[in-house]
Amino acid sequence: MATDAADKRSGGKGFWLILAGLVGVNLGVSFYFAPRRVELHHAPVVQLPNFLAFLGVPGEWMPAHVTFTWLIMAILMVVGVLGTRALKPVPGPLQNVVEVVIEAFCGLLDQMIGRQGRQFLPLIGTAGLFILTSNLLGNIPGLQPPTANWNTTVALAVTVFLSYNYFGIRKHGFLNYLKHFCGPIWWLAPIMFVIEFIGHLARPVSLSIRLFGNIFGEESVIVILISLAWLVMPYLIWLGIMLPLSLFTAIVQTFVFIMLSMVYIAGAVEEGHGEEHH
Amino acid sequence: MADEEPSVLRQLARLSTIGVTLVAATAIGLAIGYGLDRVLGTGPWLTLIFTLFGIVAGFLNLFRDVGMIGGRRRKP
Repeated sequence: MATDAADKRSGGKGFWLILAGLVGVNLGVSFYFAPRRVELHHAPVVQLPNFLAFLGVPGEWMPAHVTFTWLIMAILMVVGVLGTRALKPVPGPLQNVVEVVIEAFCGLLDQMIGRQGRQFLPLIGTAGLFILTSNLLGNIPGLQPPTANWNTTVALAVTVFLSYNYFGIRKHGFLNYLKHFCGPIWWLAPIMFVIEFIGHLARPVSLSIRLFGNIFGEESVIVILISLAWLVMPYLIWLGIMLPLSLFTAIVQTFVFIMLSMVYIAGAVEEGHGEEHH
Repeated sequence: MADEEPSVLRQLARLSTIGVTLVAATAIGLAIGYGLDRVLGTGPWLTLIFTLFGIVAGFLNLFRDVGMIGGRRRKP
């Protein structure tokens, strides 16, 4: 992937020179600093200090996924403020990027939910951008994506779960929303209610486990490969196989998460609407 | 990035739910039944019943995702 682009741009030779230079610098640094034994209990994972301690946030060393969550929040807020600070009819580069992203989200919402879809842009857009930034952060070796921790993904999935139930109740009213759990046949209603209830509870579990499992597995492989980078081969495997693969995984997992959130919201908002037409 | 081939990615999104949802529904049914049994002290019965409910819920979700029943839910 990167080879093709570099081939077209600089005729191929420059790319290989840069690659060889990178590998050489990496090997030199690694051999200089490398311990003479392989010690895997010191995984090369960065842990950010608690940089909000002066605001009164407790704990000198927060867990890494919390501080990286703050870092991603900071990135997203800075990009949002910079992108929308001076809106112009002919957008500059940053405003252009922000507009493209927002229009992609709006297009997906229109496609999946329909004409009432754009009111869910704050939830879907925030979740999608957060997960995308977090997953892409995991591709920088040494950094830890917050979505590789189950707590973060459970928080996201529970938010989505409560939100789509709230949207359904707000649209149809509490009793009507519960009635649509019960199925069409009245004497099956208690059993159907329990079954649908369990089925709905399984949704946040599957959402959170899928995202966490994919990113955590990818991150574990990357950490092991990078920690063995002073052997040449793991570094090349990371560069050639894991990096394109994890870029792909990051985008696909983000897409799957927001896609399923939109499917759930569409189900909660629309299904009772179909029953009115019966 | 993702709207070059929305249909393929959408199929991927919906199909990737199947395996995890089946297991998760069964596990949640088992957990609910086990918890109720510990609270109420009613032998293994609620565990069995709720595990069956969980399995049924998992298969119901599976059939819905694949689109064999409840085709009214999706309009592309």
